[in-house]
Amino acid sequence: MDLHALEPEDFDREVRSFEFWLDAVRDYLPTADGLELPPDDVAPEDREPLITVLSSYCVGEMMALEGAGGLIRSAPNRSSKIFLSTQTVDEGRHLEVLTNRMTELGVEDVDAEIRRRANPYLLEFRERLLDLIAQGRWQQALFVQNVLLESMEFAAFCHHIQLADARTRAILEGIVKDERRHMGFGENELGRLIAEDPGLRDDLSHLRQEFDYLALGSFEHALTELRIPAAEHPTLKRGYLAAVKRLGFA
Amino acid sequence: MTDFLKGYDIQYWLESCPQGYLEDTQYGHGASAREPDLVLENPTLREQAIGTTVQLVVGERCALAASSGLINAAPDEASKRFLATQTLDEARHVEVFTHRLYDLGVKKGELEDVIAQYANPNLVHFAELLLERVDAKDFVAGVVGQNVVLEGMAFNVFEMLQAANRETNPKFAQTLAGTIADERRHVGFGENRIGSLVREHPERKRDIEQLQKEMSYFMLATFGDQMRQGPTPEQVSEIVTASGGTPVRQAEWQGLKLSEAAPEELEAVLGDTILKEFKLRLERIGIEYQTPERPAA
Repeated sequence: MDLHALEPEDFDREVRSFEFWLDAVRDYLPTADGLELPPDDVAPEDREPLITVLSSYCVGEMMALEGAGGLIRSAPNRSSKIFLSTQTVDEGRHLEVLTNRMTELGVEDVDAEIRRRANPYLLEFRERLLDLIAQGRWQQALFVQNVLLESMEFAAFCHHIQLADARTRAILEGIVKDERRHMGFGENELGRLIAEDPGLRDDLSHLRQEFDYLALGSFEHALTELRIPAAEHPTLKRGYLAAVKRLGFA
Repeated sequence: MTDFLKGYDIQYWLESCPQGYLEDTQYGHGASAREPDLVLENPTLREQAIGTTVQLVVGERCALAASSGLINAAPDEASKRFLATQTLDEARHVEVFTHRLYDLGVKKGELEDVIAQYANPNLVHFAELLLERVDAKDFVAGVVGQNVVLEGMAFNVFEMLQAANRETNPKFAQTLAGTIADERRHVGFGENRIGSLVREHPERKRDIEQLQKEMSYFMLATFGDQMRQGPTPEQVSEIVTASGGTPVRQAEWQGLKLSEAAPEELEAVLGDTILKEFKLRLERIGIEYQTPERPAA
């Protein structure tokens, strides 16, 4: 089927379907007998900082799982509900592979470790996102979940991929492919809504200012915990701001 | 608890479902499969097929809203991850059954009107009751309503429909086979997870039994209504014969010849099967079956 020959409504329906999701993820999902990850080669001195980073990722993915699941109810049409269902399972899978990675690194009680190391900015981000979802504010919640949160994760993972051990890098590369799809849905859906209601852009800009504080704060907190020199902190923050800008929300 | 949930993780789901029994399917069936000409051409059979499929869409929409809504209410991470797979399973069911309505000739612009026209009020009422509990973030009530009552009872109906269509409509039968495989996993999770919660919180036993009593009425009423609607087996045979075909007599389920059984016989055997399995399931969970009562009008 030539997707680009479809009418806009049929195109949306097709690219948001279970079938399309399955085709998209098929090549990079681990199976029982395929896609072997590289061997574990984390240096002993890198183990603790990696566990701290993975703990933050798990808080982010748990939030993304709860957020995507919660958004389904207020999604305005079937194709959005189905897309968000594929996103829900993506987020659950990210959480699963990241907690497995922590177990591989010798963490015995992963839940306790995540709670102990949880980034307070991320916890506040989660609370406020779930509030928007509970209020049924579809446009605002979608913006925070699929633009801001996904851009945060995208920037953090892309930055980490350049520095990570081979096994963690392979895991993160798979996750980033999913994030691109999620960001694309947010951009597409919100772009359409803004075209119908130009005032929405201002509303989202105000919301962005509130959440940027939490996003940038969470990066600062994580980088400080990892004892990364202050001179290197702006790189990651710029990555996040650039990702949001690319989605048309400068 | 952790060990049993290992069998419900996303890796297992990926290997058994999308990379397992759904491999090489499109919208739940082989790419070249299509609805039988007779179903598409005969108004009575087509209307019956649309009516049945609408109930499936309504039930699956309810299950999608409930499973996704329960993620935030789940008390542990492993249950949240399982519910993520269930959410996508339910979304897929909504997708494949909606596609069946399109295959049966329902126009995209008419979809919601057709669903509103054929949706069984008892099923709609059941959905309202269940989603009230989900909105209240009551995980136990939500899982009992969704994974034990809705899916546990619908499971037998899906099996009967699948048996009835195996010969006459392989496309629909294959779609149902994939759905049944998913439901089996969901029911297993509900039974195990609620079983462990009842052991941890015996004080909730009475509440769960009351919930089962309240909710199962609407499911049984839906099945009864559907059985009494549509053409009789004799009418179907006449339609098939008039079209130059030979009525199929092999389809059997629970020892009953489905193509010859009267609606009352179907309803009776379905009721027996559902209730028998349902009681066993409740016993394994640790709660006693409560006979549903007709709610006050």
